[in-house]
Amino acid sequence: MKIRASVLWLLAGLIVAASGILVLPGTSYERQDRDATLAASSAMHRAGTDALGRDRLVRVAAAFLLSLAGAVVASALTTAAAAGVGTLAAFGRASMGWTAMLLCDVFLALPWMFLLMMVRSALPLTTLPAQSAAITFLVLAALGWPASARAVYRGALQLKTSDWMLYARASGLSGAGVVRHVIPNLFPLLLPQFLISIPAFVMAEANLGALGLGVGEPLPSWGGMLFELNNSPMLMQTRWVYFPIALLVLVLLLLEGVAVEA
Amino acid sequence: MNLSRRPVIGLAALLSLMPAVIGRAQAAPRLPGELARTIGYDPKTFDPAKVDDEESETIRNLTAGVLLRFNRLTQKVEPELAEDWNISPDGKTVTFTLGFGLEFSDGSSLTARDVAWSLRRVLLPATAAPVAEEFVSPAGVTVDAPNDRTVVVHLPKRVIAIGKVFDEIAIEPAERPSEGRVTAGPFFVADYRRSRYVRLRRNPHYALKDSAGRSLPYATGVRLDILENTEQEIRLLQRGEYDLIDSLAPDYFELLGKRAPGLVRDLGPSLNTEQLWFNQAPASPLPAWEKAWFQSRAFRVAVSQAIRRSDLSRIAYLGHATPAYSFISPANSFWYNRSLSAPQTDVAAAKAALASDGFHLHGAELVDGAGHPVKFSILTNTGNAAREKMATLIQQDLAALGMQVTVVTLDFPALIERLMHTQDYEACLLGLENVDPEPNAMMNIWLSSSPNHQWNPSEKTPATPWEAEIDRLVDQQAASDVTAERKKAVDRVQQIVADQQPFIYLVYPNALVAVSPKLQGAEPAVLAPRLTWNVERLRLQGTR
Repeated sequence: MKIRASVLWLLAGLIVAASGILVLPGTSYERQDRDATLAASSAMHRAGTDALGRDRLVRVAAAFLLSLAGAVVASALTTAAAAGVGTLAAFGRASMGWTAMLLCDVFLALPWMFLLMMVRSALPLTTLPAQSAAITFLVLAALGWPASARAVYRGALQLKTSDWMLYARASGLSGAGVVRHVIPNLFPLLLPQFLISIPAFVMAEANLGALGLGVGEPLPSWGGMLFELNNSPMLMQTRWVYFPIALLVLVLLLLEGVAVEA
Repeated sequence: MNLSRRPVIGLAALLSLMPAVIGRAQAAPRLPGELARTIGYDPKTFDPAKVDDEESETIRNLTAGVLLRFNRLTQKVEPELAEDWNISPDGKTVTFTLGFGLEFSDGSSLTARDVAWSLRRVLLPATAAPVAEEFVSPAGVTVDAPNDRTVVVHLPKRVIAIGKVFDEIAIEPAERPSEGRVTAGPFFVADYRRSRYVRLRRNPHYALKDSAGRSLPYATGVRLDILENTEQEIRLLQRGEYDLIDSLAPDYFELLGKRAPGLVRDLGPSLNTEQLWFNQAPASPLPAWEKAWFQSRAFRVAVSQAIRRSDLSRIAYLGHATPAYSFISPANSFWYNRSLSAPQTDVAAAKAALASDGFHLHGAELVDGAGHPVKFSILTNTGNAAREKMATLIQQDLAALGMQVTVVTLDFPALIERLMHTQDYEACLLGLENVDPEPNAMMNIWLSSSPNHQWNPSEKTPATPWEAEIDRLVDQQAASDVTAERKKAVDRVQQIVADQQPFIYLVYPNALVAVSPKLQGAEPAVLAPRLTWNVERLRLQGTR
């Protein structure tokens, strides 16, 4: 519990620090200081600049908040969808459960990277960077629910055959009443599903961004910044190119820590 | 979707993006007097008539015996297997006289029969030789060999700069095509190990001799290792394992320059161009008001004036590019229009041009006369870091005019689909690789009826008077055999393009090479192959 509190405090500290960086007067994640490209740390640019002269610290802060917010929303949507599908499949007719789980298997077998590429190339070209970010996380959520739904289904099935449920149903409880009692009892299962999905979505967005399929320029993203690591001459120029990946690893460990503790 | 539940596993995928610095055993030991370099992938063919990719062309350039050689430095055609050649006054007959005692690398005689057979093979539709297209009407070309030393090529109509075409046709033994194993060029293919190396050996019967009468080539062979990793290539060059790198990206050029300044050479602007253009096709699915913007000269000129080309060169190419205003590079010294007047960077003038065309600011946003906000996307291909940087720099430059630009990167097939088929795009940023200084080679872009007339492909009739004038000038220069007249027409085309800005030229990427100090005889040229165009005169220090 102590560890969890420390992790939560550290995460909260990072969120506050990133928000603070972004609200400082004069900060901009897109302004190009064309006379200071790939600059080292200075009073003006604490973590140096990228290849276009944009402040790396501001961009990392924006990418962190954007990614975290997107992942939390996507995770909430995924968990809600999983709760609905899993509960219906467990408490509905047997054919409904079978069909729902088949649907989950189909989704899990989909080549999701190609699907994402198709979705990305089908988007209107004038899609704004913020819209592309929202769409990226929505697509991730739309494709990410089946694994959670399977876990919820198994939990709901255990509930269905539990003594108290049998007693409640024998007492005439049905329909909405069952759901009203089941959802709170599934909460210990849904919370870990929610928490464990967050780092997975952060990671998925970073992978997509590194492939050029995620958030559009000039909006910063983990993937876009990690793409710099694909250029070995740049790695020789400034050690600050490693800053985004170092922070991403820390954030993922913290998120993972929260999920494990839950 | 099977999202990773363990971020560390996904992290491994990310780390795989980092350059692989994996030790690699040298493909084969270097033989005495042998040159060594790399190629990026396995050549798709060794048949010199069927060359259609860069690395196959590299092999052909090193092995092919040709009637005429195009000197990349002087940009003039010189005799090689043909000791003399001439074109009839009507331009329809080309006569070659072969040198005495020519032989193939296996010692067999090379006669006019072999030359005629090789030329006819290239012209046959069944061969599908890409070079055949350069004869314009290959089906109507006939080849005679009246005696052992004379070859006559009859053309149905004049072909501009026909001499350079023969630089691309390898003469092979008649009826014995050997895929480079028997050649009349400086080297022949001796060994090929897939994914490892191609080894060429010196042709002891090569026709050319140096000024002292010594047989060429000097080198005993060339080993071409198949290696895609530039980082590893430059390390091995530094260690003396390789002798040259024919083309370097700016970031690797800078890296190598810091480690070993004596190895790298910036040859200045290449013939290649990077350009931005707007979709002006009437059939495109764009809204009418966007088509009106893109068809407006004032709009295009304003965009051109707002772009800071010096920043594109300095930031996207690390200073190894030259601001561009024409489709002909200053490296193409004869055809470049030195008195060209083109819109220079001037944001105030750009704003004035837009205001004169009915555009005005609504807050910070530029809107057209009907109140439509000026928003559009710039499309470019994924994976080209310089283009992606240029697009992002242009995004900010145009923001100064109040234009809201989205940068979209697509993989090449998806991009080509939009450009050539659906025409569903607003603006595109791409480059054009020019391998030939002869302007006739790029005129297919300027003819309004051409499918390569990118801003408005395959026009039935020229959409504007200036496009009609370009058509007329293009035809005029193609029909003329008077160089001064052709130059005047090409200069005028350059000026019309600069005035109308259908293509907004951005930069000419510089030609960047690396040469080992041990390599003697290198005369780097901006035209490809930059370092091996005179491979017969290259040798390692200390060899004969």
